[in-house]
Amino acid sequence: MLETPVLCKRIPTWPWGDPADRAYVDYDAFVDTGGYVALKQALDMEPKQVIDAVKSSELRGRGGAGFPAGLKWSFLPPEDGQRRYLAVNADESEPGTFKDRLLLDFDPHQMLEGIAITMHACRLDTTYIYIRGEYHAQAKATQRAIEEAYANGIFGKNSKLGKINDRWPECVLHRGAGAYICGEETGLLESLEGKRGWPRVKPPFPAVAGAFGRPTVINNVETLAMVPPIIEHGAEWFKSMGKGRPDGAPPSVPASFGPKLYGVSGHVNRPDVFEDDLGIPMSTLINEHCAGMRNGKAYKAAIPGGISMGVLGPDEMDAELDFDIGKKHNCLGLGTAGVIVMDEDTDMVMVARNIARFFAHESCGQCTPCREGTGWMYKILLRIEQGGGTTKDLDLLLELAGSMGAMPGTTICGLADGANWAVRTILNKFWDEFASRVSVDRSVSLPVVGAGH
Amino acid sequence: MEQRDLPWIMKNSAGTQIERRDEPYFDAALRDELEADLMPKYPNRRAATLPVLHAVQNKVGYLPYQAIEEIAAFLETTPAEVLDTASFYDQYMTEPQGKYTLWVCHSLSCELMGQPDLLGRIQKKLGVGPGETTDDGKFTLRTAECLGSCGTAPCALVNDVLHETIDTDTFLRSLDDLN
Repeated sequence: MLETPVLCKRIPTWPWGDPADRAYVDYDAFVDTGGYVALKQALDMEPKQVIDAVKSSELRGRGGAGFPAGLKWSFLPPEDGQRRYLAVNADESEPGTFKDRLLLDFDPHQMLEGIAITMHACRLDTTYIYIRGEYHAQAKATQRAIEEAYANGIFGKNSKLGKINDRWPECVLHRGAGAYICGEETGLLESLEGKRGWPRVKPPFPAVAGAFGRPTVINNVETLAMVPPIIEHGAEWFKSMGKGRPDGAPPSVPASFGPKLYGVSGHVNRPDVFEDDLGIPMSTLINEHCAGMRNGKAYKAAIPGGISMGVLGPDEMDAELDFDIGKKHNCLGLGTAGVIVMDEDTDMVMVARNIARFFAHESCGQCTPCREGTGWMYKILLRIEQGGGTTKDLDLLLELAGSMGAMPGTTICGLADGANWAVRTILNKFWDEFASRVSVDRSVSLPVVGAGH
Repeated sequence: MEQRDLPWIMKNSAGTQIERRDEPYFDAALRDELEADLMPKYPNRRAATLPVLHAVQNKVGYLPYQAIEEIAAFLETTPAEVLDTASFYDQYMTEPQGKYTLWVCHSLSCELMGQPDLLGRIQKKLGVGPGETTDDGKFTLRTAECLGSCGTAPCALVNDVLHETIDTDTFLRSLDDLN
């Protein structure tokens, strides 16, 4: 259990404070409680030293993929005097995920400090914070914080950072307009350029050719907010929290160090965002942090981190929530650690149908297997839910799920992988429930003689 | 061209009359304001498409085709490019909307916490389904995919105000209080 909160230092959260006391932390209050100290330290360091510090902390991206942040930064090409960008992914749109919102609502200066340090370390002159269109209040709070930062010499003319690429550093809030796909990093860049959010074919990776064809770093809000504490307290402090790599694993295997924000929703008594070490068992999160299941019901299933990650079954309540969860529990991964808990009365067919509808609606339409596959998956699940499904449908679902996505190699981005992992894991782990809802297909299909072109 | 001349064309887009008015939707005052405050933030004009669409929609209530053309002229691009972007995103509307748009979240956490009952009762009260506007033009009902309020489900946006942990009765009453 985490002793003192890190990201929730100024945001009252169980067990350290009462969520009812949450209020926006302005620039002065932020500085009074130790804010922007890390920026000062970082500015006394060479940019490369800052990157090395983050690299040695083994901080992994908090946006879902868990890619090592320092390593991502080191992919940038050498400076050429032209513009380089930082794109902040605040397009938190995956059902179950609402952790970045906490930071944006109440303490956005943590993120801004992380942005300033990253701009210094990676020599980036302009930051675009891409915030989802549905976050109205959060956009206001973030805009307010940006203005305070400009007024206090963090960004803008005569900034503390000095000129970067011969420009004064700028930080711009860019609002999206309701599209989940813009959380995919290259979809985000397309949207930032004023186009539809269609993910790009990679390579080239954004570090080489990102926004406006220039080198671009893309990080999640929580990842950036984690940078100042690492600079201030050091990599060893960061690595004292969370969970190391499995026994005997070589250093090349990424570990799960540090604290993490867990957003828990669904059938629990106290749904909210909690901060704790990476790797705590889900049962601890449910029984202690969330004060147990709602109405004394029994646990049935949970989604570890946003609906694209698949599902944990009835016997997996003790699953440890770290970046290694995918391999151990046959799901896609930890994702954003937005845990959705379901009790014994939950209809898993409904859950699968809801998830399939989300992906069918949010598929951007660029790649045919995803555009068509997600739609058919939804239709089949709807049919099963309404009682018209047959045993054939179950096989068809598994076949569909196994053939669309970036992993089977049929799509550009991972949206379809999210859809197929979710449907596949629910189907496999709750097969009996699905089987009891479908009838045996008694129609006979005969081979058609002479068919074909 | 009359439709009967081209019977294979189902949708006679070529013959569609675009409604126009003399007064621009995207007026000089808003253009000057955006030119001064917004445009310097982006390295090219087209990048400002999303914020300009937001600004015009906030002013007009939706995005008529004439406004799309005016935006395209302002951004030095084509109406097709602007419409391409505008039609991709859920929040941009190319048809007139009710005074209040209700976005009811129907993603997983909300459905687990009672969204079907909420949506059903709103539909019954307003007499419209998702995507429709009431006859008096007051409400447009929409469903939304995850509003990022999963811990406080069910939730709904009324224009840009988020309602969380909704109690259906209280929420329905609050709709009566809107003017």
